[in-house]
Amino acid sequence: MSAVEKISQPPARKVDWNWLGIAPFFLFAIVFLFLPSLSIFYRSFQANDGSLTFDNIIALFTVRDIINAYKTSLTISLITAVGGAIFGFLLAYAVVLGGLPRGIRTFMSTFSGVASNFAGVPLAFAFIATMGNAGLVTRWIEGIFNISTRELGFSIYNMWGLSIVYMYFQFPLMVLIMAPALDGLRREWREACENLGGNSYHYWRYVAFPILMPSLLGTMILLFGNAFGAYATAYAFSGSFINLVTILIGAQIQGDVLYNPGLGNALALGMIFIMGMCMAGYAWMQQRAARWLR
Amino acid sequence: MSSSNKHLSRRDFLKVGATALGASAYLAACGPSGGGAATGPDLTSGNSIPLDELTAAAKAEGQLTTIALPHDWANYGEIIETFKSKYGLTINELNPDAGSADELEAIRANKESKGPQAPDVIDIGVAHTATAMADGLVAKYKNANWDTIEMKDPDGYWWAEYYGVLVFEVVKPDIVETPKDWEDLLKPEYKGKVAMAGDVLKSNQSVQTVLASGLARTGGDITKAAEAGLQFWKEMNESGNFIPVIADQGRIAQRETLIVMEWDYLALANRDALAGNPELEIVVPESGVLAGPYAGGISAYAPHPYAARLWWEFVMSDEGQNLYLKGYAHPIRFNDMAKRGVIPQEMLDKLPPAEAYAKAFFPTIAQLTETKAYITENWRKVVFGE
Repeated sequence: MSAVEKISQPPARKVDWNWLGIAPFFLFAIVFLFLPSLSIFYRSFQANDGSLTFDNIIALFTVRDIINAYKTSLTISLITAVGGAIFGFLLAYAVVLGGLPRGIRTFMSTFSGVASNFAGVPLAFAFIATMGNAGLVTRWIEGIFNISTRELGFSIYNMWGLSIVYMYFQFPLMVLIMAPALDGLRREWREACENLGGNSYHYWRYVAFPILMPSLLGTMILLFGNAFGAYATAYAFSGSFINLVTILIGAQIQGDVLYNPGLGNALALGMIFIMGMCMAGYAWMQQRAARWLR
Repeated sequence: MSSSNKHLSRRDFLKVGATALGASAYLAACGPSGGGAATGPDLTSGNSIPLDELTAAAKAEGQLTTIALPHDWANYGEIIETFKSKYGLTINELNPDAGSADELEAIRANKESKGPQAPDVIDIGVAHTATAMADGLVAKYKNANWDTIEMKDPDGYWWAEYYGVLVFEVVKPDIVETPKDWEDLLKPEYKGKVAMAGDVLKSNQSVQTVLASGLARTGGDITKAAEAGLQFWKEMNESGNFIPVIADQGRIAQRETLIVMEWDYLALANRDALAGNPELEIVVPESGVLAGPYAGGISAYAPHPYAARLWWEFVMSDEGQNLYLKGYAHPIRFNDMAKRGVIPQEMLDKLPPAEAYAKAFFPTIAQLTETKAYITENWRKVVFGE
């Protein structure tokens, strides 16, 4: 009996202080992620006077403005995630494996680091100041071709304009994440492929893409979430004239016109649900994509 | 009401009693008016109290508690200073940045308390007067200039003090031909040049902009104005004249938004702030002149009921009303004062012509609520066809 106790006791007595290192992270996550999410869930079912209601959730599926807002948000997020991924990947490939001078790579990674964090009001203003109705570039073009862009109906204040603005931080982020992954592609693999009689297509189809797929998918989800949750940039760009979910939430929880915090919470719950689905889809695809690794 | 009277006498008792000792309690309670049951002038009738009696009673209270009066809004800084020096009262200013709902909440929360957190007077958006009256938060009082106030509660529970109208703020010389009326804004020459100063779904100012354009189209028929307004903005959007951005001072300065609809007091303040770079022309449209008034009131639980009434006598007098105008807020008695020529000429020179304001339309509270709901519900569907 005593022998058994001796064996089982030491691990129980030993205090493991290692967890202290990650405690601040968990504390942070609980306070700023889990508790707010819980509160969003709880308050989605509350009417303005505090009583229980399902109206807010029903509204998500019935009110035309809300359905349209989700459509627009999803469209912009998809366009900029896929667009950002394609252009970002090509750029990262050119920089890493394109045989460019070393200086370019240093420059690109510094630029990407800065640009991927350039968002919100300054970014919106930068685009308005260059491509807006009275923007620098707009004025140049008007001067060179002697035209009036206003009269031609050119405007950046629409979904496509906003997508271009988002791309400014989307594709540097792709470059930042893809560059190290591309570094991981060894030259020997390509040589091996060629020795086995494979051409470029075979190399990409059977070697490079399967290796890169988990990072590619992961980054695209990140880009999608990045665009899906953006608020400050879009609001500074065009107020609530572009109907995004985040902007609709803003109008529900502040301002003196709509003001229905419960519905705002329900809208946020819908976003959490969509992001949750994306993450689950990602996990599943990544598992499939990485199956050969095991 | 009786509790507030009791309070007043106790307060006077303490104040005067301290100097003149206990014997003067009766005199102090009778108050400077020299009559009434330990109160001073009658508060219940809501009729105007002669200024000298009111001043004496207010001085006995010694203080006034205000709420939500930012010093740079409608010239409240100068109004407060002038009142203080003129009547020698101290003013306890609560949260200058409070909104209308907060003001009413402050009265509600302090019903039982007569401390420094209880406001005596309030200045709220007219739409909030309905709640204030329904909840019994305001006391009635008709000041000496009551008859010339153009918008008020017939029983005297609230009255408008000042208003703004929606104007066109036009950047010169970029816009050669200045638009004169709402319908002009649809002309092809203004393509990509017209913007609102806020969001229809977020700012009341923009809801009113839609309503004003509709009012111009229906020839002043408010019942159809919301629908007509949405139609107007649908055409604005389809013609490409409307740029969907929020035109703040920065965007105007940058010449991004060349024609902006805004309350006149904000537009005129922009004109001063930008000081000619760019030059702004402020135009009151020929039709669809929509007024956005603010309403004053006295807390039914005011700790200083006489000081509160004195405040309104001052603010609603020619002098007080002119101080509003100095901050570009249009005093509600503007038309009367303009007729009598009591507005200094140099002030008038800074404003759009007085005749333009004579046409101002004041919607009722029910109309405001109804049109707001209609416009916000249908804005996206009608204007953007979503």
